[in-house]
Amino acid sequence: MSPALFLLTSSLLGIMVLAAGAYALLYGAARFRRSRDLLIGAGLAYATVVLDAAGIVLATPLAPAWKLLIAASALGYFAIPPLTWRYLQYTHREEEVHL
Amino acid sequence: MPFDDPAFWRAGAISTTVVMAIVLVMLTIDSLEAIAPGGSHVPPFTVVNRHIDYVHNAKLGRDMPVVGEDEPLFGKAVNSPEAEALIAQGKLVIQSRACIDCHTFMGNGAYYGPDLTKAWLDPAWEAWVAITGAESREEAMVRFLMAPDQYATWQRRMPNLGISRDEAVATVAYLKWLASIDTNGFPIHFGRIKVSE
Amino acid sequence: MSRSKNLAVKYLTAAVLLFGVMTLSGLMSAVYYINPDFLYGLLHFSVAKILHIDTMIIWLLMGFMGAVYWFLPDEFEREPTGILAAEILFWVFVVTVLVVAGIFTFVQWGPGTETTLWLFQQGRKYIEAPRWAAIGVALVMLVFAWNVVGTALRARRITGVMAVMSVNMAPLVLLYLIAFPKIDNMAVDLYWWWWLVHLWVEATWEILIGCIMALAMMQLLGTSRRIVEGWLYIEVSLVLGTGILGLGHHYFWIGTPDYWLGIGGFFSALEPLPLLGMVVHAVYDAGVHRMKTSNRPALYWTLAEAFGNFLGGGMFGFMITLPQLNLFAHGTQWTVSHGHFAFWGAYACGVLSVCYIALQERRRLVTVNGPGWVWAFVLLNGGLIGMVGSLLVAGMAQAFFERAIGGSTLDAFIAGQENPWFKLGMYSRFGFGLMFAAGYLVLVWNLLALGRREVAVVVQAMPAE
Repeated sequence: MSPALFLLTSSLLGIMVLAAGAYALLYGAARFRRSRDLLIGAGLAYATVVLDAAGIVLATPLAPAWKLLIAASALGYFAIPPLTWRYLQYTHREEEVHL
Repeated sequence: MPFDDPAFWRAGAISTTVVMAIVLVMLTIDSLEAIAPGGSHVPPFTVVNRHIDYVHNAKLGRDMPVVGEDEPLFGKAVNSPEAEALIAQGKLVIQSRACIDCHTFMGNGAYYGPDLTKAWLDPAWEAWVAITGAESREEAMVRFLMAPDQYATWQRRMPNLGISRDEAVATVAYLKWLASIDTNGFPIHFGRIKVSE
Repeated sequence: MSRSKNLAVKYLTAAVLLFGVMTLSGLMSAVYYINPDFLYGLLHFSVAKILHIDTMIIWLLMGFMGAVYWFLPDEFEREPTGILAAEILFWVFVVTVLVVAGIFTFVQWGPGTETTLWLFQQGRKYIEAPRWAAIGVALVMLVFAWNVVGTALRARRITGVMAVMSVNMAPLVLLYLIAFPKIDNMAVDLYWWWWLVHLWVEATWEILIGCIMALAMMQLLGTSRRIVEGWLYIEVSLVLGTGILGLGHHYFWIGTPDYWLGIGGFFSALEPLPLLGMVVHAVYDAGVHRMKTSNRPALYWTLAEAFGNFLGGGMFGFMITLPQLNLFAHGTQWTVSHGHFAFWGAYACGVLSVCYIALQERRRLVTVNGPGWVWAFVLLNGGLIGMVGSLLVAGMAQAFFERAIGGSTLDAFIAGQENPWFKLGMYSRFGFGLMFAAGYLVLVWNLLALGRREVAVVVQAMPAE
């Protein structure tokens, strides 16, 4: 791996997780604020995750198995916020305060 | 629905932990065999009697240590118990001086001084042979370790840690043995500059 | 107030004081990079660094212990078993730490003999303390474990949170035994050393802070025990499910077989996933209570914990965890960047949250708020993020110039350290370190002053007409 590609690959991996975090934050905020704008923001954040993952798959010299892992992680990042939210709502349904 | 029953998740926590722990134990048994002196990745301590090199292996696609011809330290070969004693003493020096709190060994430690994994093979020792007035690389290393404050490599200087000659010899032997360990290619292309693929 | 809670306050106080020592020695460590002649011949870099990293481990450990001693009597509705032993051992712990700090500072090293390892210096990272001190620490931890487990046995009933904590005590204490032997073979030494370090900070400590945060959440937000326990078990599954074999990401380059590259890289790459779940949980908790709580700093530090853990551990770890990339980044300032962020986010923020929880009850405060904690929060987190960003720049430069291009020789190392981006990172890190230190001072002032000048509001019932 060339020095430049190494820095690029590392940066893309970090950005992917950062964007996933932004997606999770905006998704949660959108759900409790019932805000369409925030949901669009969440969508844009996740779009960044997808684009970033695509960049890793297409432009970096990682072996195919690692690229598959990155792609699968990107799907995992998509599912985690809504699944977690649903679980939290379900378990909090009998609480005095819930969303 | 079991999802809001903590007992459901407790069962998951227990089974996950147990399975992962068992796998770790199995891999540990295998790894300890490989890293014992004489194992697949770690040469016996008597490798200090041989020439060590670190070259690119095209088949494996990475750098590999290579053990070559006889090249005993200070021209005097050591037998197995003597080599063990040297390594044991070297490790005592490394721990008593807390070398790992300035340097790294296989990348582990502190980052104020250079990594010492392949220090034995560092091309800089060529110049140090002349600077220290030594007859060999190992002698240059010993003189450096005994008085690093007199042989500053750079503006960031190693302090004098009161290392005796015997201790320095043991440390050099330790570093030579360390350089022979197969570290899966770390550090990458040691001693060779590479700008692009 | 219960003896256990009094002990908790002692531990939390000691923790905050050691946090100060960690900050000061951290600033010193940063100065050497800028001025290499700093205290040369008197006190070298390794001493400052040992003080810095060891006080970090100890202050966090003391913070955890303080948190547990705080919550223990409420969880078991009784005074913990062996509390007298715990009270005595607190002072044993404090004296040990002080003596060892003195040895590190004034003795520094000894000849290459077993005696040195017993009396002065063991020279293994994080566990440099001489063996006599390690015996003291082991004893403290054994009694701590007994306080938890023994109380559970005596009480004959145990909550889910305390069950997890009790079971977690066994590996927590046993792993510390790795601090004792002198192992000649560096590959074997590091193999076991990483069992201690990784299975502490990326496994048993994660479980311990998870339990502490569960107890904190019940108190801060009134969340039901059933919900908190279910979540805790999920956390245990995901953290240990990824973290136990994620240990392999430390086994890439220490001489172990190359199957660790695949195993360690794979499980390590999964580690951000549970942390993302924690972010969602934090957002839910913040939202459901509309950020309303009687203890705002405690809540904010808990939220900082969730985000810091995700960013510091998850994001920064993910950048360097794949073996093909770790080959370049390993053992550089990039590692330092990740380490600072991860430790801060995963543990320090949680301990600070508990400090405010204890403070509220201790000083009988109806609410905990005010500008003081906000300033401390901003300065500490801002300083930390600034340091981490600076170290990231320096680390990327080092990995690029020293490793990727330079071939990792002494000359390559020097070239990397002399690189303008690297040097900029070192100056910048020091600057943000000063900001962090200012935040620490504000924090201490806030913890001392909070509630001291509050006017008690007395509500009188209106007389019946």
